[in-house]
Amino acid sequence: MSKFITLSNVSKIFNPGTPLEVDALQDIDLVLDRGEFVVLSGPSGSGKTTLLNLMGGLDRASGGTIRIDGKEITALHEDALCDERRDNIGFIFQAYNLIPVFSAKENIEYVMKLQGRDQPSCDRRVTEVAKKLGIEKLLHKLPSNLSGGQQQRVAVARAVASKPKLILADEPTANLDSVSAGELMDMMEKLNREENITIIFSSHDPMVIGKAKRSVVLKDGKVIKNETVS
Amino acid sequence: MFKLIFKSALASLLRRKLRTALVITMIAMSLWGLLLMQGIYDGMVQQMIGNAVRSDSSQLSIFAKGFRAQPDVKLQLQKQQEIKNFLAHHPNVKSHISRILSRGLIATARYNRNALIYGIDPGAEITHASLNRYVVEGAFDFGDKRRGALLGYKLAKKLKISPGDKVVLSAQSMDQQIASVALRVKGVLRTNNLSIDESGVFMHKQRAKAMLGLENAHQIAVMVHDYSRVATLQTQLRTKFPGVKSYTWEQLYPALQQSRELMELFNSISYAIVFCTAAIGIFGVVLVSVLERLREFGVLRAIGTRFGVIAAMIFAESFLIGVAGFAAGSLLGGATLEYFAAFGLDLRSFSDALGEFGIDAVTYAMIKPEYFTTSFVAVFAATFLSVLIPLRILRKSKPVEVINE
Repeated sequence: MSKFITLSNVSKIFNPGTPLEVDALQDIDLVLDRGEFVVLSGPSGSGKTTLLNLMGGLDRASGGTIRIDGKEITALHEDALCDERRDNIGFIFQAYNLIPVFSAKENIEYVMKLQGRDQPSCDRRVTEVAKKLGIEKLLHKLPSNLSGGQQQRVAVARAVASKPKLILADEPTANLDSVSAGELMDMMEKLNREENITIIFSSHDPMVIGKAKRSVVLKDGKVIKNETVS
Repeated sequence: MFKLIFKSALASLLRRKLRTALVITMIAMSLWGLLLMQGIYDGMVQQMIGNAVRSDSSQLSIFAKGFRAQPDVKLQLQKQQEIKNFLAHHPNVKSHISRILSRGLIATARYNRNALIYGIDPGAEITHASLNRYVVEGAFDFGDKRRGALLGYKLAKKLKISPGDKVVLSAQSMDQQIASVALRVKGVLRTNNLSIDESGVFMHKQRAKAMLGLENAHQIAVMVHDYSRVATLQTQLRTKFPGVKSYTWEQLYPALQQSRELMELFNSISYAIVFCTAAIGIFGVVLVSVLERLREFGVLRAIGTRFGVIAAMIFAESFLIGVAGFAAGSLLGGATLEYFAAFGLDLRSFSDALGEFGIDAVTYAMIKPEYFTTSFVAVFAATFLSVLIPLRILRKSKPVEVINE
């Protein structure tokens, strides 16, 4: 195991200098190793989503530094951050956020196309990932013709297909029933194990939290617990 | 990448089929109208110019110096034969003819009118500019004894005469006397060249020479192969024959040239209207499309799509609408113009009114490649400009905010 993600004194202040100023994150120090399966938990407003957004370069930290695989993403400009997300980070959203006009297959191969991979290579990878996630028969369907659980599997496939080093998932099971949620977590765990992808997800759900190998608990923008789960 | 951008743009347009179809129709219809108006108006002006050129000025006319300012019968072309020889061997000269020109009086037993007398060689006129095609009554012929006359249709109407009737033509001769000749009307011409239709009287050149006591002609009318090089010919004539002056049809008919320029201005305004129509239509579609997909674009940026790629997707959407509208409008407009170019726009029920302005009753449309290239540029510019504001809105939006909305 090696240091993969390092957060040093990371803070995030929303609406600074206004009456609506909020300290969403305060002096977060966190080190995560490559290949970890981490859950961020804590009450609503504790800073889970903000922390995921900062690690994914979707938002800028007010202070501190974030290094992913040795690269300080807090120092990157917009296009470089975008390239970093394209090449190294996969996202899974609570509301799936698939592109409605693309079929499941087109959604899954989208990032690979951005990376410039050729069609046969995309096809091979889509088939491989779809098989792992059990969505081979859904590939031609539009998102509007898929159930919530199926859409989230496609979203996971999209995040995984481009072989990122890190997957960030913000409450990926929040819109799913308990059976679908359990299945999805099992699949993510399997991907973590088989593809050695570092996965960090946030959740309130004790069943989902229980699947993680490391638990980071946040409260009022601070890490109050960071422990490996046996 | 291009395929991805194109596919995304096409899919987004197909998501709102009716809206897309409406904008494409709007662009197509305005373009159709523009092409139709342009082709018809250009055809109309071109026919007016053609009438003036064929019936009178040709593309270049050569006169003795001073004749245009004071058309004195004495101002014949000196060195006429030398000029004709020069023109006969000039590579840019297609054909040339000489004419006698004089002002005079035409009279019947009951009426008389001012007349513009043209002494012409009928055979040469036919091969030079097909003057015979303007005959609407009688024949293009002066008879065996060359005692025939051809009259403009308005003049014939005013004099209440028709082929077979007798007229007397009088004009001042070289010796300052009034010379007269009795002629029989052989035909009536409708050239839609107002001055000829109202007062033109054509007689045989030899008869006119004899009547006026002339040795040479007053005008040599020239048709050229390449009109863009006519200025060179004018310079050569000026250098070689200092006693003559040449005029292009634009110089002889400045009003027609102005009509053409006016039409070009009108066309520019029409292009601006099409441009605005396309720009506003596309702007509306793209703006709504961007606003309703802010979250989607936020997700695309979150998963690694650079803003430039998203901008290209939006531009491609706009471009596809523009190209589809342009294609439909061009096909429709082109086909309609082809029809009117072949069969003409028949306005014979307004022929008298149109004749007052020198416009033919049947207008044949023109089709120029620049109609389509200029329209394409206008539509392309509209597609480009119409996405700038939606892109600015998108640029300001933060993926992290729009995704979580």
